[in-house]
Amino acid sequence: MNERNPAKPVFLVLFALYMIVPILATYLFSIATRWDRSLLPEGYTLEWYAQTFQHPYFLITLGNSFVLATYTVAANLLLVVPAAYLAYTRLPEAKLPIDVLTILPFGIPRVILALALVTLYTVPVINRSPFLLVCACTVFSMPYMYRPVANSLEAIDLRTLNDAAMIQGANARQILFHIIGPNIINGVVSGCLLVFSAIFAEYTLARLITGARFKTLPMLLVEFTRRDGRVASSISVIAFTVALLLSLLIIALAQINQRRSEKPAAVIEKRT
Amino acid sequence: MRSTRLGALWGILPFFIFCLAFEIVPIIVLIKESFFGAGGPTLANYRGLGQKVYISAFWNSIRLSAITALIGTVLGTFVGYSIYRTRSRRVRSLFEAFSNVTTNFAGAPLAFAFIIVLGANGVVTILLQRLFGLNLYPGFQIYSYAGLVVAYVYFQLPLMVLLVIPSFSGLSPEWREAAVSMGASTFQYWRYIGLPLLAPSMVAGMVLLFANAYGAYATAYTLIGSRLVLVTTQIAFVVTGEVLHDPELAKAMATISLLIMGVCIAVYRAAISRARGWNG
Repeated sequence: MNERNPAKPVFLVLFALYMIVPILATYLFSIATRWDRSLLPEGYTLEWYAQTFQHPYFLITLGNSFVLATYTVAANLLLVVPAAYLAYTRLPEAKLPIDVLTILPFGIPRVILALALVTLYTVPVINRSPFLLVCACTVFSMPYMYRPVANSLEAIDLRTLNDAAMIQGANARQILFHIIGPNIINGVVSGCLLVFSAIFAEYTLARLITGARFKTLPMLLVEFTRRDGRVASSISVIAFTVALLLSLLIIALAQINQRRSEKPAAVIEKRT
Repeated sequence: MRSTRLGALWGILPFFIFCLAFEIVPIIVLIKESFFGAGGPTLANYRGLGQKVYISAFWNSIRLSAITALIGTVLGTFVGYSIYRTRSRRVRSLFEAFSNVTTNFAGAPLAFAFIIVLGANGVVTILLQRLFGLNLYPGFQIYSYAGLVVAYVYFQLPLMVLLVIPSFSGLSPEWREAAVSMGASTFQYWRYIGLPLLAPSMVAGMVLLFANAYGAYATAYTLIGSRLVLVTTQIAFVVTGEVLHDPELAKAMATISLLIMGVCIAVYRAAISRARGWNG
């Protein structure tokens, strides 16, 4: 690759090893009968997966994580996507405040967001309710939705598309669903996947806001790391596999987007 | 035209109301309450942070974040440059995808993976012992500060790699050729041209890593629980009611932490605009 400096591939190999070994070890540990006194597992079994699935809380917490992530995606779709779309098409003055509000959560550690919400919302119905948790998760995940959507809105020439469609007699609804929609759908889908995978793995907010009242899968995992490492490893594998599949999807989508934006003229041509 | 703008405002309004209710107002109330006690406005909550446990919480958090940000920045820049220098688009996108995937492996699963790998009976612990006669234990412990550093670097490193790769495109090959033709050595090139050009991007990456580590909670809690005090774990103990700290003190800790985050964001913005100024 680089004859002048043979040390470089070594860096890459060490980096790859450091990143892969913990993940591989978790996968292997979850199917090992015993692996604490030998270089390789002493035998292989699916017993820990069986135990995981039989655990009364596993399906409940798995379901809770799915529900939480789904509601958070829905809240983002209802709040962030229309705001981004309207700011870019009709109200450019709103862009700056929306930018600030969606970047701010990156500067607020989740424990502090949880403390602030729990302090303010002491009304019994809301306090430490799953509803408050969804709100917290939505605040935390807004940047994941806003960025890809804003990028895809930025990439298309909204004004030209809009004018062209209006001249040809399209109404607002047709413009949204047939012209703008298809052009930003990739951004919206990427945003949904990013939000979903972030919240599916979210531990801090759930533990601090709802606690035992609404247990999520990562909370069950932490409990098991202290009780039974083998079951913990199988939960860990299940959670990471979901995240892995989602991020592969996101990467594939991003590559499709990139290929598209490299020849934007062709896309517009096809649609007019 | 006026009516469509008004209509647009109605469409955006729910977003603004939501942000006010669950983002802005809660944080403002939190900051305000940190300056109030039972008897009205006071700085007592901040004075209370002078106790040893809170001082060491801040010290541990800042030290942990700074060390892992530094390690992440240095190693991440090397790895990022190695990826960039392969000049193969496939290798680059493969490693970028790889970094993307591994940044997802954080929190509780990450902490647990390191227990499997570097715990007292961990795979790598046994491997080093059998192959090289190297005993990690009892000098090293995964349930300790050093263990936390190793685990944090795991999520810092790929983040830095992703942040730093684009900035290498700002280093024109012509500058290197010019430097070499004037007789500069590789070291001189990096010392006087390469590094000063990269510095703003590296600083930007480093403060981002610092903030990232400072706010982290799940990894630390899973790995060390209450064995080491950190700002985030102490605040979390107040929220869950496990340890009876004064809740007002947690608000003061949170306010100081937000100030630290604010400084990070300010430095980040300054560094990024400098990096853009050079590359643009």
